[in-house]
Amino acid sequence: MSLVVGNGITHWFGRELALEGVDLVIDTGEHMAVLGDNGAGKTTLLRILSTMLRPTSGRLQIAGLDAVKERRRLRHYLGYVAHATGLYPALTAAENLEFFCDLQEVARTRVEEALDVVGLVPMAKRRAGELSRGMQQRLAIARAILHEPRLLILDEPDTSLGDDAADLLTRVMRDKTVVMATHDHALANRLCQRTLILRHGRSHGTASRLHVVK
Amino acid sequence: MNPVRVAFAVFRKDVRSEWRTREIVPALAQFIVLALLIGNFGFVIDRTNAANIAPGILWLALVFAGLVAFGRTFAAEREQASLDAMLMTPASPVAIFAGKALAATALLIVCEAVLLPALAIFFGTPLSADVVFAVLLATIGMAALGVMFAAIVARVRARELMLPLLTLPLWIPFVIAGGTAVQSAMGLPGNYQEAIGLLIDFDILFVVLTSLAARFVLDE
Repeated sequence: MSLVVGNGITHWFGRELALEGVDLVIDTGEHMAVLGDNGAGKTTLLRILSTMLRPTSGRLQIAGLDAVKERRRLRHYLGYVAHATGLYPALTAAENLEFFCDLQEVARTRVEEALDVVGLVPMAKRRAGELSRGMQQRLAIARAILHEPRLLILDEPDTSLGDDAADLLTRVMRDKTVVMATHDHALANRLCQRTLILRHGRSHGTASRLHVVK
Repeated sequence: MNPVRVAFAVFRKDVRSEWRTREIVPALAQFIVLALLIGNFGFVIDRTNAANIAPGILWLALVFAGLVAFGRTFAAEREQASLDAMLMTPASPVAIFAGKALAATALLIVCEAVLLPALAIFFGTPLSADVVFAVLLATIGMAALGVMFAAIVARVRARELMLPLLTLPLWIPFVIAGGTAVQSAMGLPGNYQEAIGLLIDFDILFVVLTSLAARFVLDE
């Protein structure tokens, strides 16, 4: 069953075309990698999927809901890790997550579970601003999975994660539908069943892993 | 989604961050004392004219301290890219806005706790409950407007310039009514009750308007 169905997704930033007529279908439980050079439109596509950006034209449905008209309802089902971690440096790791538990109406018992998944339990009482970039990235991932989203959207999640990035992301992505933008083709092949190639805002097709894309 | 819980969570997060970093309040308190000092040296003040001059200095210091305090509310969120993370949750933008406005109001009230006694010391004017009440009433409406415009200008580059340009014209009613109330409380002519009534009207009007606009400002 398809969780995400997009048709002709197009986005203009002023006079600049960022995405042109991208179609995509992502099945429940599927992991899809979005590959492409800098400026190819990966982040724009992910921001549209996260409902933070409205497409200029085209249709997008996630979990049967219209991603433009019903985006507030839809946000219960979405977890998004952006380029910037968006953490509060003066709050501890646990306090950052507790704050988002309150906003998501999730029990605070989820904080320790999420920290455990990303291996940050020993850092729970350290301020986010004192954590290394890699640990901050782990904390941002923990925040995105706090409410156990149906669709997890990851924008270059391996940034600064270090050698165990693939193992960590495997744990995070287990039993979830995932769209992940990355420059790392090896990582995409290891973690995702399918890849979507973007070039200059256009889709150059999808492929199963280890297959050459047209 | 309980909006009160969300607003309280945002309020607590902002106050806790300020308590730990002490970025805004100490700087604003210093600014207020310096403004009063300049006012004190800039005018020839004696017993006969202190009550005439002090309200003007009070509102000038409050207005500029408010611009700095409210300007930081959303600028910090933008710099840390944390506003997007907040808006990605199903929490109501109105509740998020209310929490931010409450926190900014609390910070400004802390600054007023420095401003009002300092005014009494520098100008020798009476610090009465009526003066405090008038200033607190004005703070509510000024905070609602200031935080809304801070949210709007946080997206633009020239936000330090844009915030006063947008906010000051709409703060004028508070300065007029609040100024009348404070002057009256200091023993000068003026109808205190009428001025307080106006401040309450302005508070209700601008709190309702900004709450209605918050959804579009934050989420569109």
